[in-house]
Amino acid sequence: MIELSPLIGTDIPTLTINSVDESRMKTMAALLRDPYPVHWDHEANKQIGIGNKVIHQGPLNLSYIANMLIYWQGPTCIKRLKAKFLKPVFGGDTVIAGGKVLEVLDDASSLVNCDIWLSRDQQTVVSGVAEIIITRK
Amino acid sequence: MIAEEEILGLRGYKFPGGIRTVEYWENWLLTDCTTLEQLPNDLVHPIALFHVPIQGAGSSISHLFSLGQVSGAGSVGLDGYDWEYFQPLKQGVPYYCEGEVVEVERVRTDSGRIYDRFVFSINLSTEDGQLVARITNYWRLWRQR
Repeated sequence: MIELSPLIGTDIPTLTINSVDESRMKTMAALLRDPYPVHWDHEANKQIGIGNKVIHQGPLNLSYIANMLIYWQGPTCIKRLKAKFLKPVFGGDTVIAGGKVLEVLDDASSLVNCDIWLSRDQQTVVSGVAEIIITRK
Repeated sequence: MIAEEEILGLRGYKFPGGIRTVEYWENWLLTDCTTLEQLPNDLVHPIALFHVPIQGAGSSISHLFSLGQVSGAGSVGLDGYDWEYFQPLKQGVPYYCEGEVVEVERVRTDSGRIYDRFVFSINLSTEDGQLVARITNYWRLWRQR
């Protein structure tokens, strides 16, 4: 069984979304029953000064981080996600999910704490921490 | 603008509560929205912890907007989430949802803007009372930008 402490400081393999897809945002709005027009109505957004853009849903921003974690340690690895939303992401943006192992929380249960983030143009748009169960082989 | 004492009165507001099951089709579409391939073993994508607790507790995004007396583009901001997963969520399993508004605070920024910090928390449990997940969501209800 692998030791966990050498993982501290390890970078989690990044996940890149080349273009945030507006059609997926519309499906998401319907699933969420989300009446907030910023996610699907270009016209409504002109009045808040973001031009012809639509704002990506916060849960979908976080989903890219979740997907990065799932690719790294499997579909049931996430035990806690704490995230702050710092800047909006827009349809068509390229974003990169990344992370780094910060500490071992509980060796017996293989639980580690990770720094997580989503960036656009090298600016952090979502940041937080995730508690992850490491698969030991 | 809603009076400060009125918005602060929302602290402790309990959602009606209820039962929510994630169907196969819903999870398929949700997972597809995230760009991930479908998960094995009826696992629900972890991002379901946004809408499933809200809807399961008998609320909705519209209901939350109504409680907070906000409407229109730019009236709501997302501060953050704290989501805890005690068991994996599965398709077809009824989850019992209950929660409340846990914190409300009127904030005046240095630049003179005013918003209400609005925080709610919801637990998801199985029929036999095992806690499956807990969410705490932090919203910003803009009053003066």
